[in-house]
Amino acid sequence: MPAESATLAFEAIGTGWQVDSRAPIAADTVRRMNAVIEDFDRTWSRFRPDSLVTEVASRSGEWTFPDEAPALVELYSAMHAATAGAMSPLVGASLSHLGYGAGYSLVPGAGTLASPDWDRMDWDGTRLRTRQPLELDIGAAGKGLLVDMIVDLLEQDGVEQIVVDASGDLRHSGGEPVRVALEHPYDTTKAIGIATLADGALCASASNRRAWGSGLHHVLDARTGEPVDEVVATWVTAETAMVADAVATALFFTPADQLAGYVDFEHVRMLTDGRAELSSGFPGELFR
Amino acid sequence: MNTRIGRTAIAIASGAVVIGSLAGCATDQSAEAEAAPSTGSGDTSTTTPSTGTDANDTDSSATSSTYTDGDYTATGEYSTPGGREDVTVTITLADDVVTAVDVTGSATSGNSKQYQSAFISGISAEVVGKDIDSLDVSKVAGSSLTSGGFNAALDTIRSDAS
Repeated sequence: MPAESATLAFEAIGTGWQVDSRAPIAADTVRRMNAVIEDFDRTWSRFRPDSLVTEVASRSGEWTFPDEAPALVELYSAMHAATAGAMSPLVGASLSHLGYGAGYSLVPGAGTLASPDWDRMDWDGTRLRTRQPLELDIGAAGKGLLVDMIVDLLEQDGVEQIVVDASGDLRHSGGEPVRVALEHPYDTTKAIGIATLADGALCASASNRRAWGSGLHHVLDARTGEPVDEVVATWVTAETAMVADAVATALFFTPADQLAGYVDFEHVRMLTDGRAELSSGFPGELFR
Repeated sequence: MNTRIGRTAIAIASGAVVIGSLAGCATDQSAEAEAAPSTGSGDTSTTTPSTGTDANDTDSSATSSTYTDGDYTATGEYSTPGGREDVTVTITLADDVVTAVDVTGSATSGNSKQYQSAFISGISAEVVGKDIDSLDVSKVAGSSLTSGGFNAALDTIRSDAS
């Protein structure tokens, strides 16, 4: 990061964001960025009573989603197949059941609740038809998608040397590569390795942080509604943050080689016993 | 003086994080209980962690410390869906190495209390070994929420200690 770069920090979709660029971002661009974020939240947030997703959860029907939907549903469809159903945009009901829903009750219901099957909806591009109320949750790829949308907007407006950091989802466009510490999932003063990011995305997912009780966290297996064990943290690089974000979640359910046929990525994966794996093309190293 | 601070008691058994209340739970050195429920040996005493008696077993470069040894405490803020909360971080430094970490949260909203207890329980199984400044990085990729406040507290400690 050049010392003279400009930084814009803000909060959006429930997390902290930082946008670095070579020069300060024009006020008009910032306004349009805020509009993109607001539209995104208004569409996809499970936590807003006025969102489109909340409406989908209230009744069966037919809806039109915005332009980002086709790429998202295509990716989810691939991840759903690659993980044998473990990863699904219908995991919202399972999350709510465990207390991670609107209102953040964080009080788990009895047992776990499996998510509805994919065939309960007909999602084609921007059109969604349902035969029952469905709790959509795009949390596995949504933050990455928004990172990409913001980077696209900034690039269109001529912003140079961009680094967008959305608390775990990073994307770099132009300028010097950035060195990124891979935060130890049990100890934020330590790193288990390091990555170098240049013109691409790096997304991290850890099951221990957004946790609200013993064994309860936000990475769920849609087939059973149960939080997953064994993998404690993942880091994925890909061309887009949406793909990196989705794969970072998918790696909690599925070995990397089973995902490789669907999307291009490199990864680090750490298991609960402290072992970690590194793909051969990962732009970085592990401390062993 | 180098008081060792209470470390988080966590047990990792096939991924289940057992929440031990950290605040005030002092002293147990064998904080990392490698519960092995299926081994059947029934032996609950863990292998003594390498705490030993002296921290500087093999430290050959003990002379050029950047930071002053001791305990440092700082508080950092972070934002949650329920508003702003803070965490207090205490670190023990010896020869520029973090030898102990203690984190307490003072969350006011119910949600954040639960976030914090889970966060705290997940931290610091073994916090020995890495020089606090050894990584020349501009970004950290781990996860979100509490880590922001944690890092803010760490930055304060850094400047206090140098």
